[in-house]
Amino acid sequence: MIKQEIQPPIYTPGKPDILTPEAHQLTNGIPLRIMNAGTQEVTRLDFLFDAGTWYENKHLQAVMTNAMLQEGSQNYSGAQLAEIMDFRGAYIQFLADHHLGGISLIALNKHLPYLLPVVEDLIKNPLFEQAELDTLITRRKQRFLLENKKVKVLCQKRFSTALFGDSHPYAQRVKADDFNTIKREDLVEFYQRCYRSNHCRILATGKTDEKLPVMLEQHFGAADWAGEALLIRDRKLQPNSEKEYHVSQKDAIQSAIRIGRPLVQKDHPDYIGLQILNTILGGYFSSRLMANIREEKGYTYGIGSSIMNLKNAGYWVIATETANEYVDATVREVFLELKKLREEEVSEAELKRVRQYLLGEFIRDFDGPFAQAQSFRAVDDFGLDQQFYDAYYQTLLTITPADLLDLANRYLNEEDFYTVVAGA
Amino acid sequence: MVKFYRHQLSNGLQILVYPDYSTPMVALDVCYHVGAKNENPNRTGFAHLFEHLMFGGTKRIPDYDEALQHAGGENNAYTTNDLTNYYLTVPKENLETGFWLEADRMLELDFSEEKLNIQKNVVIEEFKQRNLNQPYGDVWELLRSLAYEVHPYRWQTIGKEISHIADASLDEVKAFFYRYYAPDNAALILSGNVDEDLCVKLAEKWFGSIPNRQVNKAPIPQEPKQTALREMTVERDVPDTALYLAFHMPGRQERGYYVCDLISDVLSNGNSSRMYQRLIKEQKLFVELDAYVSGDHDPGLFIVSGKLAGGVTIDQARKAIWEELRRIQEEPVTAIELEKVKNKLEANVVYSQMNYLHMAQELAGFENIDRAERINEQMLIYRSITSSDLMTRAGQLFRETNCSQLNYMAKQ
Repeated sequence: MIKQEIQPPIYTPGKPDILTPEAHQLTNGIPLRIMNAGTQEVTRLDFLFDAGTWYENKHLQAVMTNAMLQEGSQNYSGAQLAEIMDFRGAYIQFLADHHLGGISLIALNKHLPYLLPVVEDLIKNPLFEQAELDTLITRRKQRFLLENKKVKVLCQKRFSTALFGDSHPYAQRVKADDFNTIKREDLVEFYQRCYRSNHCRILATGKTDEKLPVMLEQHFGAADWAGEALLIRDRKLQPNSEKEYHVSQKDAIQSAIRIGRPLVQKDHPDYIGLQILNTILGGYFSSRLMANIREEKGYTYGIGSSIMNLKNAGYWVIATETANEYVDATVREVFLELKKLREEEVSEAELKRVRQYLLGEFIRDFDGPFAQAQSFRAVDDFGLDQQFYDAYYQTLLTITPADLLDLANRYLNEEDFYTVVAGA
Repeated sequence: MVKFYRHQLSNGLQILVYPDYSTPMVALDVCYHVGAKNENPNRTGFAHLFEHLMFGGTKRIPDYDEALQHAGGENNAYTTNDLTNYYLTVPKENLETGFWLEADRMLELDFSEEKLNIQKNVVIEEFKQRNLNQPYGDVWELLRSLAYEVHPYRWQTIGKEISHIADASLDEVKAFFYRYYAPDNAALILSGNVDEDLCVKLAEKWFGSIPNRQVNKAPIPQEPKQTALREMTVERDVPDTALYLAFHMPGRQERGYYVCDLISDVLSNGNSSRMYQRLIKEQKLFVELDAYVSGDHDPGLFIVSGKLAGGVTIDQARKAIWEELRRIQEEPVTAIELEKVKNKLEANVVYSQMNYLHMAQELAGFENIDRAERINEQMLIYRSITSSDLMTRAGQLFRETNCSQLNYMAKQ
């Protein structure tokens, strides 16, 4: 058994290979990025439009317009579209968030010539048929009502309106009645404004060859689907002055808790240090919050904190679900952990552990073509470039306990935090 | 073809190595052949509770996570009815740290009342979070207890009731470890940026001296053939009424399993499938409708589950589903439909090979069934399945006497 006593040496992994996608442009100006990587004959295509909730005139416009793209176009009914995708073993996903409306295709390379004409038609010539829309609205509304029974959903919604203000597009403001008032013409209006070639960019990832840009040019490069410039909308954040909220959900066995604050964004000099501080607080399995509230007290199955980035705002949030009787104790312990970070320097040992862990994560973030593409978007979507990752790596190697203490004293003050509890 | 290598240590530990040099990472996966089906019916949830205790540290390595994080590693685990699987990933330079950690906790754990009590509490909160505090959270519990009378699949991995977890004693925990956590009841799988020779050498160095524990598992009681329809109705505070039909089907060692899997694909995999197109889109009877196999290793369940559209009765919904189930018994599946589901399987195999960790977990799953080589055999089986196989199997499967029906009514 002697051997078991001798720990193998630990090596510090190096910096990962960070790929930059090749920049191309279609004739009509659509920026095309190609991330040529990977060993399997697979390509992922992301068509990204400025078509998120930010550009809505009415609730649900962005998400319903995006979802309706798969329900029928000039040359393919929704059923035919689904049939072709399934027959080719391809996956197509439709997603709308705060700023973007996207269509993503994952397929074996050999099937792309059969799939791109379909994708072209659904993007350029959707029909928005009333009957299909009615079905979709019914299903989405039922899903919405189901989600709204969950304490964590109720909690997150209240948290978002507290942080951003009731009328800001970053607040989750959709109500059941919005499903009754959204109309076909709202979708058509949104589509014609946002799903245009001048609001589009394309990211291709995988084991690609020279045929891919030619195919994309053929299907998406024409000049006949441009639109007007989008209005620049300056939406002001209006954080609430009230800092504590309770959302009542009768019969809930557990309560959901969100504790958080507005925060600087990715381009701020403090941002990377804050990411490291967040990891210590609640960003990995052995974080302070997990060690104290799960592993020492047993109040919860899981607790974590994250720094969230939206294009025009950032925030810090600590999230957990716990038995109703542990709510007060859990909130108290969270604030004690913030206090500890403000008052005591993180030990060299703990910092080293977090540094090593994050270096491993850093390699994972660039492991494989899809991870590379995601990490590219994580800077490109925010108008940054991959120098961000050089800075990240440097900060990770050089940050000190004194730096972290300073950050904690500027960003982890109790009075800046909102507390929302949803439960019985 | 998934190319991997197999070795066996003299203490019985199976070693599987799957190299994939497109990643700078390695995964190290230890699969123990013990799951909820091996539990005492009065101590359900034990295998899963034990999974939590495996992270409680040993005398030599008091903090498993800390040691792994220093090596840039990440880890997690899961428990199913059939197995308990632990996996970690590290940058390839630190492969040996993974061996050190996993061999150490296979050898011996540092048990204590205090650790046990904390993890019991954590698991009880997990029980509440998953089963009690979610709309439809108790569906699986109800369905399993309806469909099974004898086989331990009648309870879920999280356990039948909270008291089973709360009452577990330290002696039981220790006995469980020495009974099941042994090299002769485990497989070690390495995937990613690994060399076969080095892995075998390291396995010998770290695991080679752990004693064989002569693991001797009690036989699992097999479920007798169902002979009559079973029906259960409950009322809950949920938005939509839901209907569940569960049918007994063959286990993973039988060809029939794969036939059932294709039947479920024809019925409901993807938006072009029969049930989606006819019952959701055309007849608008359901807002959600799925057919799927439970994937259990012993004979498991074929499940059809649907959430009803507003105003639709259970009876209408039931009739519409049975109409589809009859159709697949009476009319041959077209060549195009069959090609479609096979194309999809083929593409999924390529997609899954892009992820070394996923491959390690797949190999672990097949090794637990009986042998990892099945990962390649399954594709041959799928390819050999014909339209008439589907019809014959559907005829055996979709009989009322083989059906358990759960009516999950939304409270008005």
